[in-house]
Amino acid sequence: MKNSFKTLCIGVLAFAGLVLAPLTLAQSGEIPRTRDGKPDFSGTYDVSTLTPFQRPSEFGNRLILTNDEAFAIANADAERKETNQQGSDPNRSAPPQGGDGSTGAAGNVGGYNTFWIDNGTDVVRIDGEFRSSIITDPLNGRLPPVTDEVRNAARVALGAGEAPRREGGANDGTAYWLDAGLDAPGPYDNPENRPFAERCILSFGSTAGPPMLPALYNNHKRIVQTEDTVLINVEMVHEARIVRMNAEHDPAPIKKWLGDSIGWWEGDTLVVETTNFRDTPAFSRGSENMKVTEYFRYENPDKIIYSFTVEDPTVWEAPFSGEYSWPRTDNKVFEYACHEANYALEGILKGARVMEMEYRGEDPGGVPNPTR
Amino acid sequence: MKIKIILANVAAMAFAAAGLWFTAGSQAVAHHAFSAEFDPNRPVLLRGPIVRVEWVNPHTWIHLEVTNDDGSTTVWMVEGGTPNTLLRRGLSRDTILPGTYIVVDGYQSKDRSARANGRDITFEDGRKFFMGSSGTGAPYDNDASRN
Repeated sequence: MKNSFKTLCIGVLAFAGLVLAPLTLAQSGEIPRTRDGKPDFSGTYDVSTLTPFQRPSEFGNRLILTNDEAFAIANADAERKETNQQGSDPNRSAPPQGGDGSTGAAGNVGGYNTFWIDNGTDVVRIDGEFRSSIITDPLNGRLPPVTDEVRNAARVALGAGEAPRREGGANDGTAYWLDAGLDAPGPYDNPENRPFAERCILSFGSTAGPPMLPALYNNHKRIVQTEDTVLINVEMVHEARIVRMNAEHDPAPIKKWLGDSIGWWEGDTLVVETTNFRDTPAFSRGSENMKVTEYFRYENPDKIIYSFTVEDPTVWEAPFSGEYSWPRTDNKVFEYACHEANYALEGILKGARVMEMEYRGEDPGGVPNPTR
Repeated sequence: MKIKIILANVAAMAFAAAGLWFTAGSQAVAHHAFSAEFDPNRPVLLRGPIVRVEWVNPHTWIHLEVTNDDGSTTVWMVEGGTPNTLLRRGLSRDTILPGTYIVVDGYQSKDRSARANGRDITFEDGRKFFMGSSGTGAPYDNDASRN
């Protein structure tokens, strides 16, 4: 009995220790560490932010915002969301014939309600200072100019009327690509023409990157860390980045969707270097020659500062760097089984066939539109 | 939903003009371009009860039964956003009760099936289908922990 009581007491104390240890760490400002003394980044982070990747021109070369400016940005965003939550006319009619004029991914047909969006409520704040952009170098917070080769290639492609790789479509409701001939290649000829995101293959924008950037929603990342491997699980679109610690890169001919990542420690900073990209990395217009170096450090036990430098002399005239914060969250990374119901890809390809039939004067049939 | 695209330079503008996707703006981007899927020449206004909800990624699909002029009915499916966002706010598929009457405006899909984008989904009286934001809605409601 005595022994049982003693065991119980030890058990309770051990449990209390397990529960309280992280709290004590956080309260004392000490960062969590692994058994071998390295910073332990294991946990889940919500990287959503109102701070844009590139700096709005109004801020010029100014990276640091005043408190008033940062609060004004957050307030304006909150007001915009509040406005978008107001009710609509229950007797409204269908949107305009010919499109609603919206741009970007919502091109001319609109997107969906704000309640589906989760892009954060705050401006990036690092070491107490609010930031106007994620890009920190060049000084203007903008991507450096692309090389002459890239510029010329774009002009040639434009001049030739070539269907752009990531084309969203000149959305006028016609098979406009057949203007060049009834057998002319178009942007919807087969699934391989379509962007990686649309095919559920690779992160939307550059959520998994690298560099890993925030998006309109599903901004959660989970880090699982061991001595020889760091795994970064990216909610959208289901990637698991695997960083091999203190390793050599794979031979150059081995190309990977997310590149080949190796890592090492510089003091309390985790450095991750990624090369061996395929010819079309997730990030912007980077090429297979891209090298991304990422830095993870703790500002405090509840916030990682994530920095990166991108080098690709075949695309950009100079390297560039960026930095933003990854606050820890109690939330979880949810499943994102993108292929599960990717009706959009099927609809896009089938829709193109229907429009081509119409272009040729054939009747594609279909479900009558009750509003027409 | 407007996607803000900030252009880096003239060459980038040329790319954008050509429609080459360019991740230069602030927080981009959706799973796919709705412009590729929906027909701007076929606007729709749909009214009817919900009959089914596909609470799936990359996009939620809400099915509603629309009564046509001749008295027949057609089940339309309406594309929304990722369910993960709503799940984080405590909403689930079961929150959306079959039989709930909704009003949807959007554009019919280019494949001429009974699909449309849920440009604006509301209840019959015009209230938004879901309410709330990622926090309380107040600026800097997470200030202490997030910054």
